[in-house]
Amino acid sequence: MQLSHIEKAFGGIHALADVSFDLSAGEIHALVGENGAGKSTLIKIITGAYTPDSGKIEIDGITYNSLHPSQARDLGIAAVYQEFNLLPELSVAENISLGKQPLGRNGLIDLKSRASLAYELLERLGAQANIDPNELVKYLTVGEQQIVEIAKALAINARILIMDEPSAVLPSRDLDRLFTIIRALRDEGRGIIYISHRLNEIFELADRVTVLKDGHTMATKEVFETDNSELVHLLVGREMTDMYPPRDNTPGEILLDVHDMCVDGVVFDVNFNVKAGEVLGLAGLGGSGRTTVCRALVGLGEVRSGEIMYMGKPAPMMPAAAAKVGMVLIPEDRKTHGLVLNQTMRFNLALPNLSQFINLGVLNISREKDAVLKAIDEVQINPPSPDLSTENLSGGNQQKVVVGKWLLANPKLVIFDEPTRGIDVGAKAEIYLRIRELTRQGVGVIMASSELPELIGMSDRILVFHEGRLMDEISRDDFSEETIMRLATGTEIEEASA
Amino acid sequence: MAVTVEDARERFSPCSQQFVRFLRNNASIVLIYGIILLVVGIAAVFNENFRSPSNLMNIMRQSIILGLIAIGQSVVILTGGMDMTVAQVARIAGLTVATIFAAQQSNPALIVPLILLGLLIGTVLGGLTGILITQTHANPFIITFGIASILRGVNLAISTTPIRGIPKPYLQIYEAKIGIIPVNVIVMALIWIAAYLFTTRTRNGRALYAVGGSERVARLSAVRYNRTLILAYVFSAFCAAIAGLFLLARTGVGDPSAAEGMDFQSIVAVALGGISLYGGKGSIIGTLGGVLLLAALSNVFNLLQVNIYYQQLFLGLIVLIAVAAYKSPRSAA
Repeated sequence: MQLSHIEKAFGGIHALADVSFDLSAGEIHALVGENGAGKSTLIKIITGAYTPDSGKIEIDGITYNSLHPSQARDLGIAAVYQEFNLLPELSVAENISLGKQPLGRNGLIDLKSRASLAYELLERLGAQANIDPNELVKYLTVGEQQIVEIAKALAINARILIMDEPSAVLPSRDLDRLFTIIRALRDEGRGIIYISHRLNEIFELADRVTVLKDGHTMATKEVFETDNSELVHLLVGREMTDMYPPRDNTPGEILLDVHDMCVDGVVFDVNFNVKAGEVLGLAGLGGSGRTTVCRALVGLGEVRSGEIMYMGKPAPMMPAAAAKVGMVLIPEDRKTHGLVLNQTMRFNLALPNLSQFINLGVLNISREKDAVLKAIDEVQINPPSPDLSTENLSGGNQQKVVVGKWLLANPKLVIFDEPTRGIDVGAKAEIYLRIRELTRQGVGVIMASSELPELIGMSDRILVFHEGRLMDEISRDDFSEETIMRLATGTEIEEASA
Repeated sequence: MAVTVEDARERFSPCSQQFVRFLRNNASIVLIYGIILLVVGIAAVFNENFRSPSNLMNIMRQSIILGLIAIGQSVVILTGGMDMTVAQVARIAGLTVATIFAAQQSNPALIVPLILLGLLIGTVLGGLTGILITQTHANPFIITFGIASILRGVNLAISTTPIRGIPKPYLQIYEAKIGIIPVNVIVMALIWIAAYLFTTRTRNGRALYAVGGSERVARLSAVRYNRTLILAYVFSAFCAAIAGLFLLARTGVGDPSAAEGMDFQSIVAVALGGISLYGGKGSIIGTLGGVLLLAALSNVFNLLQVNIYYQQLFLGLIVLIAVAAYKSPRSAA
């Protein structure tokens, strides 16, 4: 496949200006770029969702000006997006053959061949042992659902497979399996476009890498010819010497003290505390209880037993009441938990802070506007236009709005759950700066993350969770990815018991 | 920072930016009032009865009942719900008041207490609806539909025939004028202004939009979800009760079929006004436009002596067109 000089504009703005990209059979070609660089637009042109304004698409030597979605499918182009296109209430087999139902002679769906097709495809992906074709999709883990998505692509005999940030939704233990599958698909002669924010994955997996920036192709490189810092340089146009700003304050007194907390049969007997002005990292694999702890602290989820003291008093255990005393959660999923998407930046920034602008029961609009502009400035949202709908913002800007709305509330304890998931390098660095600034002002920060480098870069102490239990607390001097992973995967227990 | 699409769009229209943005953000409102002007304009040119001041005032008065009910409906729909009880609440308020008047020999001294009683009935019913919805977490449409069915039964139990014996002074509620403007038009205007300020300038008003936009986000953003929802249904039923009391004053009898069809019509008015039926988006200014348009159309139909059955048909068509025109842009992609 060969794309040349693709251009696409929306209302006079070039989302893509002169982008060229090619993919050979049997290669993994990584596509990287900041949010808003034009990756999604390019993908949509390849899958036929958008029509390019100019440029050529050449597949198997035949040239097209644009593709129609069904045409793209017939050519064997399939995409696995971050948000899966699966029907949760249907079985694995039904989902796999959704695009192309095997019909029997009587014109009805042939259930037997549908089941065997599903089994066969899962077998090719090495997942026949884990995934029952008759299981409903909603009962599968995220990693398993992703495999079903890939099987769906194979069901239409996809020769060009586009994977849009597959690792962003995956717990790290499933990553190796995914990589094995992707490599196997490549070795079968399929072309794979792999999109990711995580550069180390590209070095591990890809054959070539193309960097997009502001709608332009910056470069296409053989992976073995490039390195991390060159890619970062191409991505952001500047060297990232240190993403993590240094600590320059000492933690103060204890803000939050948690004793023997149990939640919903997911988290058991957890003890820890958070001091003013420190960053407490929470590490653990997906499903280890990291997020459950974050949510439980502000009263989401049922705390079965234990004592949670906040500034010497029992914590309120209700999101609204917790916010009132300065305890806020910046949730994992900004789109479904952080933002009222169909509303403007201003609406969202003001939402938890309305009491600040109320005068005798009436909102003071100009005071609201001043505060909103201040927040936009503080978290550096670009463009700084409060009346933009949050729906159309890039992931990085959306996250900044969620952070900004809680900074306005003058919190004393901020709980970040995956503060930088799926956002670009530049926005990440800015979020880290904000976190540092918070601690400098004496705010306590809890940061749960699946990205070990950021935990190590930012935290004063790291708590490691494994299957709902707090394994250990690691202090700054002992930080290493290896130590954390060993605790998080429970390797030490197994060794001890063996 | 990367130059984003929004960024560039921002720079693209520096001078006309404000105006363009106003049009973009308020397209549905501009549209509905444009259509009203068009309908009224055409009717005024072609029909001299239509353009007489008394007829225009008539349109205003005819829109009172629907107008009141539609404000309440707007607030509920903003939360992502729907209130199917409004017609029955209006009816039960009117019937209760009429029954007591009839039993007490049309005693005019009871007017004020009974008005308060009517409003109380509405408030309590709205509170019950809201509590049921927040506690069961069931679809508001089904819950309110069920409650409406119960109320319909209660109303029929109260009376199946019109109730006479409403004291003369009560009828003044509908008849009275200050200058040339009927008092009820003034009452409606005041409630509209209050509702506008409520939805745009108060904390609970903002909360309506947040709840309608996303329940989870609202809960996580220190919005009191249950309180906001209950308040919306209380407001809706309160407005419906006022409408029921006005209706009683207009007809002069307690009518067991009063406000028939108002549940559907109020939803039509809200949809026409551009409030998203999914909640979280739109302005009650638009609903007022929807109400006025329906009143103007119905007036034109009456002047042209169009059969009532066709009017019903037309109403159905309008709602389908409105829903199609305002369908969410995401589903179009």
